[in-house]
Amino acid sequence: MTETAGTIPIIDCDVHNDFKWWNDRGAGALMSYLPRGYQEYVKMWGLNLPNDSGYPNAGDRGNRADSWAKTDFAERGTRDHGYAGTKLELMREQLLDKYNVEYAILLGQELRPLTALPNADYAAALAHAYNDYLIERELSADRRLKGAMLIPTQDVDAAVLEIERVGRHPDIVQVLVSNGARLPYGNRYYHPIFEACEAMDLPFALHTGGEGIGINGQPSLAGYGSYYVENRQVRAQGYQTHLTSMIFEGVFEKFPKLKVVFVEGGSAWLAPFLWRLDADWKALRAQTPWVKKPPSEYVWESVRFTSQPLEEPERPEQLLEILAWNRAERTLMFASDYPHWDFDSPEETFPPLPAALKRRILHDNAAELYHLTPHADPAKVAG
Amino acid sequence: MARYAICKVSELPAGGRKIVTVAGRSIGVFNIRGSYYALRNRCPHQGAPLCLGNIQGTVLPGRPYEYVYGLEDQIIQCPWHGWEFEIATGRTYFNPHRVRVKTYDVTVGPLADDDVTLETFEVTTEGEYLILHA
Repeated sequence: MTETAGTIPIIDCDVHNDFKWWNDRGAGALMSYLPRGYQEYVKMWGLNLPNDSGYPNAGDRGNRADSWAKTDFAERGTRDHGYAGTKLELMREQLLDKYNVEYAILLGQELRPLTALPNADYAAALAHAYNDYLIERELSADRRLKGAMLIPTQDVDAAVLEIERVGRHPDIVQVLVSNGARLPYGNRYYHPIFEACEAMDLPFALHTGGEGIGINGQPSLAGYGSYYVENRQVRAQGYQTHLTSMIFEGVFEKFPKLKVVFVEGGSAWLAPFLWRLDADWKALRAQTPWVKKPPSEYVWESVRFTSQPLEEPERPEQLLEILAWNRAERTLMFASDYPHWDFDSPEETFPPLPAALKRRILHDNAAELYHLTPHADPAKVAG
Repeated sequence: MARYAICKVSELPAGGRKIVTVAGRSIGVFNIRGSYYALRNRCPHQGAPLCLGNIQGTVLPGRPYEYVYGLEDQIIQCPWHGWEFEIATGRTYFNPHRVRVKTYDVTVGPLADDDVTLETFEVTTEGEYLILHA
């Protein structure tokens, strides 16, 4: 028996908002949230974020071509009169209303590379400004929107203060960093961040991106690939590095209630990777004796993955086997990545799934992780 | 197969497109350098509105490190995942996916008595219309 996606309320765990597009005002939208000194800095230098990897993207400037529509797309004849789908009205039309989305988690866009800035103070100011802006200007606009807050990982003390400052806001549901980093995320340097996340019941999420930019490490063991398609494949490498680090540095022993989310790095690789880790742990356990359980058990308990871009096996039914290996009924959460070009539709992406599993992936796993409950009045979510 | 009068010929100049709905199907009609084409407005991959995609050429398969651009205006690229389709045939270009999108004939001529007109335009016995056969 299958249930059609349209009957399941959907929680979309990866939606991109960009303040430049949202407000039509460029960096100006953030200005009033920055201290005066940094306002002058931005006037002179722009945001000066290291978000240009040197690689191109795909689609229409990284986005679904139809998400740039501002007026009549079908007869437009020009590409440059609109703003990508993070205009709220278009997001409602193409995502929230169209697919019966109960909640969408906004994971930002332009500001996320702030963790790759050399200047920790400026990174902290940008995170502070973005989080305030996000809460006041975007999350308040529609009850279906929840947000991920940014932190300056260059300064752990500042990051903890920021989590304590805005992390209790009811519309903030997780803390977000990028895959690209200076140290694997299990390193003890980061532990105060995890302590704060655990104390405030905020999942710690990594989103693909930031690999090899700014002060971050090179994107792969062997440096830089030549092409964008190569750079997309370093996601799983990075996530495997961070996940292994978190397990063997004892993050899940020290912070047993912490939840970690890996966004947009695939998940078909997970189970074979854990088989390897479990086997190695049996031989090497004594080198990290605080790791008391097989690595896979920490993952089933504490780690979640988002679905997009969903792997497309040679035969669609092969995906069902992979989902079973990965215990998707607990670990996998739907994400569309709207409005990016590699958008996954909740109705078209998955092969036919058993009804219970489909509901876990499209809704329940995320509802439990983020403590999201149905809207009291679904007719009044917009505005 | 029915005949649907889309518009007067003059209303769809070269480079233009119209998205129409006939019998519940969304179809894109294109004027490319004076030739008319029509495609089903639904990508067989994930159901995206294919006919809203950019019309362009593409870089042809070649030897390593060689970039040769060709097929100018013969390719429509799906607005979501970038799959490329040949407008004339509906086939995916380079055919990696072995799927195709339905194509329809578009002809130019006077209105026939039983033509279904899709928009309110002044019907006269004179003039030439675009007729979609779908």
